[in-house]
Amino acid sequence: MNLDRQAQIEFLLDRYENPRYKRRLEDADVSMEGGNPGCGDIVRLYLKFDGDRLAKISFEGQGCTISQASADVLAEMVEGQTIQELKAFTHEELIEVLGQGIVQNRTRCALLSLDTLKMALRKHRERKVLKAQV
Amino acid sequence: MAEDRSYANPDVLVSTEWVAQHSNDPTVRIAESDEDYLLYEQGHIPGAVKVDWFTILQDPLKRDFIDKKGFEKLMGELGISNDTTVVFYGDKSNWFACYAFWLFNLYGHQKKKIMDGGRAKWVAEGRPLTKDVPSYPKTRYKAQDPDLSVRAFRTDVFKHLEKKLPLVDVRSPQEYRGELLHMPGYPQEGAMRGGHIPGAKNIPWSSAVREDQTFKPAEELRRLYESQGITPDKEIIAYCRIGERSSHTWFVLKYLLGYPKVKNYDGSWTEWGNLVGAPIEKP
Repeated sequence: MNLDRQAQIEFLLDRYENPRYKRRLEDADVSMEGGNPGCGDIVRLYLKFDGDRLAKISFEGQGCTISQASADVLAEMVEGQTIQELKAFTHEELIEVLGQGIVQNRTRCALLSLDTLKMALRKHRERKVLKAQV
Repeated sequence: MAEDRSYANPDVLVSTEWVAQHSNDPTVRIAESDEDYLLYEQGHIPGAVKVDWFTILQDPLKRDFIDKKGFEKLMGELGISNDTTVVFYGDKSNWFACYAFWLFNLYGHQKKKIMDGGRAKWVAEGRPLTKDVPSYPKTRYKAQDPDLSVRAFRTDVFKHLEKKLPLVDVRSPQEYRGELLHMPGYPQEGAMRGGHIPGAKNIPWSSAVREDQTFKPAEELRRLYESQGITPDKEIIAYCRIGERSSHTWFVLKYLLGYPKVKNYDGSWTEWGNLVGAPIEKP
């Protein structure tokens, strides 16, 4: 195992064992749960917007190391972004930070948080449309 | 050894205490095999090697396991000789430990065991974990040709269907009924169709374990399978989604209950659910 790979593993283990964003957000505008039925990973994201900007994000969840570390890393990467930026955020961007070599065989777990974020954005958009129609 | 639960092959299971007593035994190699790829790195049983099901046991280019040569090379690197007793354990009630056990069976490794209760039981008992990765002297290992009496390919499944022989679908009832094809917005494992292989009985793998993740006693297991027509006088094929959960059931039927003819269809639903022309049953 080379040092880069070891350092990447240490990075993910740290985010799993000492998550910075793992908590419930009481005043969230939207929350969304995503899961991998095959292996039991669950992530619930909480999003708080300030206008068009994601002011706060947090998550709760359980599951494998990669799925939970990924949620924590994603939260740090996207907090403060606009909705347009969030929509443009790609799987590849997240995988690159998580470490392609580590997560390539567990991409479903690695991408659960981002796929859940995309679903949460859809929910947020639908709510805004409904609100505008009232 | 584990408590007496009247298994057909009781020696194939060992207790956490047995493992604790043998962690320095040079004739024993403890091997962790998990679904969670980084669990071993968080801490493992002292002396245990990592046998990752995907990165180590699978061929990276074709959908298959490592071949005989690759298996021999892996054994050499893990310091496992033909005489070593390999004890597997892992997360998820030993799903992947049973998968690794099955593959070792395929290549003819004789001395192999499962630690009953898996990693969860070891942790629950407050037993030690370490992040130290052990290194063992390389060995020369001679594998057998694959024992296809334990592995079913799709052609075997078709023949099985023609003969109206029993199949066990060990997935969840929702997967069996075809309700879980994918989670919202994210296709699940690429299966094009949901449902099950016609005539398969749904006996989820988890029915075979107790709350502490140890296996149920033989009597309970026998009742569970026989009540669904899965009896030792028949040829049985077990399948799931990718073959890992069905390895668990294969282990129960073949080793704990002593069924003589049980195969694991490792192509499982990710193959059958995508296979053009393959019949599917769905309520």
